[in-house]
Amino acid sequence: MRGLVALLGPTKVLGAHDDLLLYEYDGAVDTATPDAVVLPESTADVAALARFCHEHAVPIVPRGAGTGLSGGAIPVEGGVVVSFARMARILEIDVSSLRAVVQPGVINLHLSTAVAPHGLYFVPDPSSQKACTLGGNVAENSGGPHTLAYGVTTNHVTGIEIVLSDGTVVRLGGKAVEDEGYDLVGSSVGSEGTLGLVTEITVKLTPLPEDKRTLMAAFPTMDEASETVSAIIAAGVVPSAIEMMDQLATQAVEASVHAGYPLDAGGILLVEVDGARDGLEDARARIEEICRAHAASEVRVATSALERERLWAGRKGAFAAMGRLSPDYYVQDGVIPRTRLPDILRLVKDAGTRHGLQVANVFHAGDGNLHPLILFDSRRGPDELERAKAAGLEILTACVEAGGSITGEHGVGMEKNCFMPLQFQSSDLAAMRRLKDAFDPPGLMNPGKIFPTPSRCREFAFASTAR
Amino acid sequence: MPGIRLRVDRPVTATVVRSIPADAAECARVLADATADRRTVRITGSGTKSYIGDISATDIELATERIAGVIDHVPADLTVTVGGGARIADVAATLARAGQFLPLDPPHADEATVGGVIAANSNGFWRARYGGVRDLLIGTRTALADGTVARAGGLVVKNVAGYDLDKLLVGSFGTLGVIVEATLKVLPLPEKTDGLIARFASPGDAFAAADTVVRAAARVEACVVQRLAEGAWQLAVQARGGGPTVERALRDARREITARHGDATALGDDLGRMRELPARAIDGALVRVSLPLAASVAFAENAVRIDSFAALVVDAASGIARVHLVNDDDDAVIRDAEALVLSARMVGGAGRIERRAEHLRSRLPTWPTRPNGDFLMRRIKDAFDPAGILEPGRSAFA
Ligand SMILES: Cc1cc2nc3c(=O)[nH]c(=O)nc-3n(C[C@H](O)[C@H](O)[C@H](O)COP(=O)(O)OP(=O)(O)OC[C@H]3O[C@@H](n4cnc5c(N)ncnc54)[C@H](O)[C@@H]3O)c2cc1C
Repeated sequence: MRGLVALLGPTKVLGAHDDLLLYEYDGAVDTATPDAVVLPESTADVAALARFCHEHAVPIVPRGAGTGLSGGAIPVEGGVVVSFARMARILEIDVSSLRAVVQPGVINLHLSTAVAPHGLYFVPDPSSQKACTLGGNVAENSGGPHTLAYGVTTNHVTGIEIVLSDGTVVRLGGKAVEDEGYDLVGSSVGSEGTLGLVTEITVKLTPLPEDKRTLMAAFPTMDEASETVSAIIAAGVVPSAIEMMDQLATQAVEASVHAGYPLDAGGILLVEVDGARDGLEDARARIEEICRAHAASEVRVATSALERERLWAGRKGAFAAMGRLSPDYYVQDGVIPRTRLPDILRLVKDAGTRHGLQVANVFHAGDGNLHPLILFDSRRGPDELERAKAAGLEILTACVEAGGSITGEHGVGMEKNCFMPLQFQSSDLAAMRRLKDAFDPPGLMNPGKIFPTPSRCREFAFASTAR
Repeated sequence: MPGIRLRVDRPVTATVVRSIPADAAECARVLADATADRRTVRITGSGTKSYIGDISATDIELATERIAGVIDHVPADLTVTVGGGARIADVAATLARAGQFLPLDPPHADEATVGGVIAANSNGFWRARYGGVRDLLIGTRTALADGTVARAGGLVVKNVAGYDLDKLLVGSFGTLGVIVEATLKVLPLPEKTDGLIARFASPGDAFAAADTVVRAAARVEACVVQRLAEGAWQLAVQARGGGPTVERALRDARREITARHGDATALGDDLGRMRELPARAIDGALVRVSLPLAASVAFAENAVRIDSFAALVVDAASGIARVHLVNDDDDAVIRDAEALVLSARMVGGAGRIERRAEHLRSRLPTWPTRPNGDFLMRRIKDAFDPAGILEPGRSAFA
């Protein structure tokens, strides 16, 4: 502590117990208190801090806005939490190269707002985009409703500056689409802060679509909604977003946001197509027709920007709205081939029932990325969370058996690291470990994440069930 | 058939063992044995890109031709899983029967294998529209030098479980392992394709028109500028999708072209010819660079002024440029080629001498500059292949 203050000055270091408490949680369910929190203001600060931690063998845990849903920013093995809140400048907007260079603490939505006057935007739009940082997006390889057609974070990052655990500053990639040699930018995106501290990011900017059509379709059951998703894709229409919500989620949303979703529908879809005006009416008509052919009881097309925003506000506010239903929720993030939606969704429901818990579903249906929100009440005792976790594990096991993944965008973190052997064999994990060791030989970067740890994972003994 | 694959840099000596494993496990065994005996291995798919890199003869030539075939195609999931030795053309044929396509148009499209295309990060002009190899690849199984087979990614289009080792393989040129299986995203075949090609008097006009096309409301599939040694500047634009969108794209492109004094005619197989420049450039040197988009026009203007200039093709949508240099004076070719790669570096890009005449191989290395983070690449290579048996001489960071 004293060493850190001497190194960086008192304004960049927090050590008081009350201050540290603010950094012991993120958007997920686990907590741990850091030994200190550092608020660097430059890459030089970050490098100095890393050198210090390297010398004293102290773990380093990067942190953006703390909205992560897998405990990624939690100092599970103690150490220093590095908050990027003060490295939040947009350094350059290069309109002619369609790139922006930003510091990691920039809030996702702020970037799109800043480049909008140039007719551009940053594609990945996590539902948390008003709060989460680009550093966090890069670390988690975040997605969002509109990443179905245009790709997730990794498809929109061409360069990073990364500080390694020994304090070395490395610039990888740049504004060009690729560099020579191994794609270390691509290998770093999604590494959850375990390879290094990202201190600068070069992202692609995309021309804003000329126009959009947003449809809300209500179905009697989730089965019909699921089949509609596959039918839309099979018809050759690739919408920019297809989101699904079940009745429980709809009711929560309506109670808080009033998006205008029908309360009696078993499942609703939010579908958007965008691009050149010319093809949009065709696409809209096509989608509407497919919805009706799958028993949609109502198809509503947003007729104004305001209406569109209202429909989306419901979706983006869905997690927050869960508070109406239950004091706590545990969200899973499994992925399945989208053709398996109907049976896996049934299985999700059964898993909840078996553990006496309700499950609401709000998710990116177009890419098969489920978000079952398992509702529980921790005031009723620690057993509630345990049951939620048990139901979650059953759901993830089913996802992997269906040929899918335990996480589509929220990351493994400390929440699912014990589940990695469900999806990967030891030789697969050994290959990943090689990448980790190349970047971080002493293992100081965000320890206890991604890889199973013997101490915490003892109770889980899996053999990979992956296809 | 084997004769085709012997287009190697040095005459293959009698001691070269040709290994044609039947599956992933056998492939891994070959590598484990090679590691134990310290015998070097080069990996060939169809051998179409053997001109890249500074490879000397290896002890073993491992061919992936039997690890081929379409393993799984689920049309409704828009994914396909194939063996690493599967030819792109064969995969395309399977997909076409289901009304789908693999949105990749790499050079050597007739012969190239999926594993080779991934290992060489071989992209065509569709990259900005559909993504490149790195964006389409969602899962791999790779035979490693230690005899294990590692799986990365999976069968689903969205997946962040663990590190994205698929990305590490893209552009690895076989130096980390043999890609025995790959899962890729595919798309429904669009209903309409149409294109145009226009001539311009100046590069400024050609690139300005290209720039508006790249940013246009209706996204095009390809937007390529070329100049031949004798000819004017040309811009080729191709659009694919629903009828109204394609018509809109070409209408807008035509308007921008006319405004810049270009004259547009129907597109023939011009894009195919431009894409196959690497196949034709067997003399002199072929430089390939990736540039920030804004740097493309200055790079192009500079390139055509060079003594040895023979041809230029620029993917204006993604900033990848190729320059073919030909000169009776070898020293001039070498000097000009290296200068071009350096000039790309100076503006924040990167590059390589993708191909050079056989007799220039020893004097003109593929990678005259080192990439950033080369020490990390070295460590990764050492971790995956501690004995250094895989594709010696085929990395940018050695
Ligand atoms: C209501 C809600 C909705 C959400 N919706 C979505 C969604 O639609 N799609 C989606 O993908 N996610 C979603 N998320 C999850 C979360 O918002 C994303 O994962 C986000 O990218 C995390 O950003 P953050 O700045 O909050 O990062 P944090 O939570 O602070 O950190 C996340 C991880 O990133 C690492 N990290 C942060 N900054 C850096 C850095 N500079 N260098 C290295 N590592 C770093 C941390 O160590 C940690 O491992 C949602 C979360 C909430 C609460």
